[in-house]
Amino acid sequence: MESYRPAVGTRVEDLDTPCLLIDMEALEHNYRFVAETYRDRACKMRAHVKNTKSPIVAHLQIREGGTVGGVCTAKVAEAEVMAEGGIDDILIPNQIVTEDKITRLCSVAERAKVSVAVDSADNVRDLSRIASDRGVSIGVVIEVDTSMGRGGIRGKEQGVELAKLAHSLPGLEFKGVMSHQTLDGSPDRETRFIWGRKYIQQCLDVKDAIEAEGIPVEVVSSGETFTIDVAATIPGVTEVEGGTYALMSHNFDYMEDLRYAAKILCTVVSTPREGTVVADVGTRALASPGGVMPFVEDMPHLAPEALHGEHIVFRCEDGPMPEVGDKLTLISGQQDMLSNRWDQYVAVRNGAVEAVWDITARGCHN
Amino acid sequence: MERPIFKAPGTPVEELDTPAFVVDLDALDSNIETVHSFFRGQDSGLRPHVEAHRCPAIASMQLASEGTVGGISVNTVGLAEHFANTGVGDIYIANPIVTKVKIERLCRLARRAEMRVYVDNGRNAEALAAAASSLGVGLNAVVGIDTGLHACGVQPGPEAVELAKTIDKLDGLEFVGFGTYEGRLTEDDSGRIDERSREAASALTATKELAEESGLKVDVVSGGGTHNYELMGAVPGITEVCAGAYALLDSRYAPQKPGLKPAARVMATVIGRPEKGLAITDTGQKAAGADFGLAHLDAGFNASVKSLSAEHGSLTLADDEAEGLKMGDHVWYIPSDIGTTANLFDYMHAVRDGRLEAVWHITGRGLYR
Repeated sequence: MESYRPAVGTRVEDLDTPCLLIDMEALEHNYRFVAETYRDRACKMRAHVKNTKSPIVAHLQIREGGTVGGVCTAKVAEAEVMAEGGIDDILIPNQIVTEDKITRLCSVAERAKVSVAVDSADNVRDLSRIASDRGVSIGVVIEVDTSMGRGGIRGKEQGVELAKLAHSLPGLEFKGVMSHQTLDGSPDRETRFIWGRKYIQQCLDVKDAIEAEGIPVEVVSSGETFTIDVAATIPGVTEVEGGTYALMSHNFDYMEDLRYAAKILCTVVSTPREGTVVADVGTRALASPGGVMPFVEDMPHLAPEALHGEHIVFRCEDGPMPEVGDKLTLISGQQDMLSNRWDQYVAVRNGAVEAVWDITARGCHN
Repeated sequence: MERPIFKAPGTPVEELDTPAFVVDLDALDSNIETVHSFFRGQDSGLRPHVEAHRCPAIASMQLASEGTVGGISVNTVGLAEHFANTGVGDIYIANPIVTKVKIERLCRLARRAEMRVYVDNGRNAEALAAAASSLGVGLNAVVGIDTGLHACGVQPGPEAVELAKTIDKLDGLEFVGFGTYEGRLTEDDSGRIDERSREAASALTATKELAEESGLKVDVVSGGGTHNYELMGAVPGITEVCAGAYALLDSRYAPQKPGLKPAARVMATVIGRPEKGLAITDTGQKAAGADFGLAHLDAGFNASVKSLSAEHGSLTLADDEAEGLKMGDHVWYIPSDIGTTANLFDYMHAVRDGRLEAVWHITGRGLYR
């Protein structure tokens, strides 16, 4: 685990590399954009902290406004880290099924408002039994599959049955419905709005069906970074689970209102042949699911050619050739995976270190 | 940092919380014995590349098993410092070290361990030599040669020998030989692996001979990896092979190396059965890694990993037995790239005969600097 911390005030060019930077001005721009988008709306942001894994970043997002005042996490261990970091409203939009994990979830519920997503009756019964035994109350939302083909109910009737069950059992508070959406590639604004609305409507249809049975639905948590502006305009949606928006990566480059806040500083360690540039960061630290490559900020003439464990190789085309020892700044293609490879964020402003933050939920897989 | 729930040694592996990184000790022992016993019969030695596991417990087992050169290789100064602190006395950083801070760390480390570094640039050699001289330490240098990876490294032959001569004239930095990593060769056709390995070996040995003809003393010729250790280790003139993945293996190496056993697996839990033919697990890219392809599902029934998202695995269930998988059941992944997966967890659960024997900290995780 990386534990050495650069001194506050260190100039960026003097940092040892590789290191993971947060450009504070870009981060602030991003959460201010969200705050402005949601300020006067019924719908609010619930930041998904699986992306950032840091309580301080979550607090900054919440303080700026436009949020529900809480976060969502993918894992119980992440929820523990957030509760320990002072966050008191946590939704896990994921299925928590084992005895050990449900018990830990109940422990978190003693100190924070906790909700979890369900898609099966057995899981609802297990949650109710363990929560009742421990004398806590767990909020329950029903996950609706709209486009992921992953977890979630596959039909309205199943949603109504689960809602009735959750509504009737002790230890549970039935809260509502949730869904995640996915769109491939780099969709334009119109495409995002058409498909975002279509998918989220499936979630709202389940809400309507549940309410028709006389069960109130308080929460419709539906959306993510690509529907930040879509979901906010749909009546009935109460919250959006945006993750990547805070630190960003270029797989979301079509979200033109957001800026890249996560940056990787690296150093050229070899220029062994004309046109070949090798720097000191590779897949271990960058992550490259599906072969996704970073790009070099302000140096479009450096084209990523290959990623190895601890190296990235660029082809230098039609531009000045960097020298050994020169520093490069990379923008990730997948911020969620990127942050999970690092133990600390180096927060920088005006070219100097402002703070160093442990990524305390890194590796919290369980 | 990972937060596994403590389980006492002796606990059945099925009672571990998931995702869990699980190492089968019988398989690990067998892999170490298989590879090390090969080197016991060779003039060359094995230099375990510990970046493949980042775990001092495994490095100790490797160095305790004869057949090695008595040292390890790493890719970063941070890993070198860490393993030196655990008692390793001979470390090769198979990577150029160029920044002032890192060169300083490397030199100071050389007071506690014999340090060898990869050099592919004359100015870098001068910087290393100057720093070492001013601190009064000695660093060993291998000239890095590109034999097909096309990342770092000078060209074999005259270019490499020129750099060797430059280094040989410097104080503080001693030229000891040549090193290469030809890249992980994973083509299904092992004939192609052999061919490329021979090309790399002959580039190395020809460069060594050329250097010797010009009066240089060449003690080290380092190359190869798990994919070709038997071939490289038997080439006259090659002195060491830096292999790492052999200890734990992974799903890409397994078909290539039938003599070795997949010793590392990730145990996952089924968290949903939303439709026929589909199971959802609690283990996705963040725990298994997907930088070099999907993990392989190690199941006694007909099922496979369909996709991995950040925190979820989607499994295709293709027969009646697989359809029997239910919420709460465990399934096992063999990672596609062991170096990626070992860098995602903070703990390995060492298991023998299905019971927990020890919990090992992966203390080298994240040491990229």
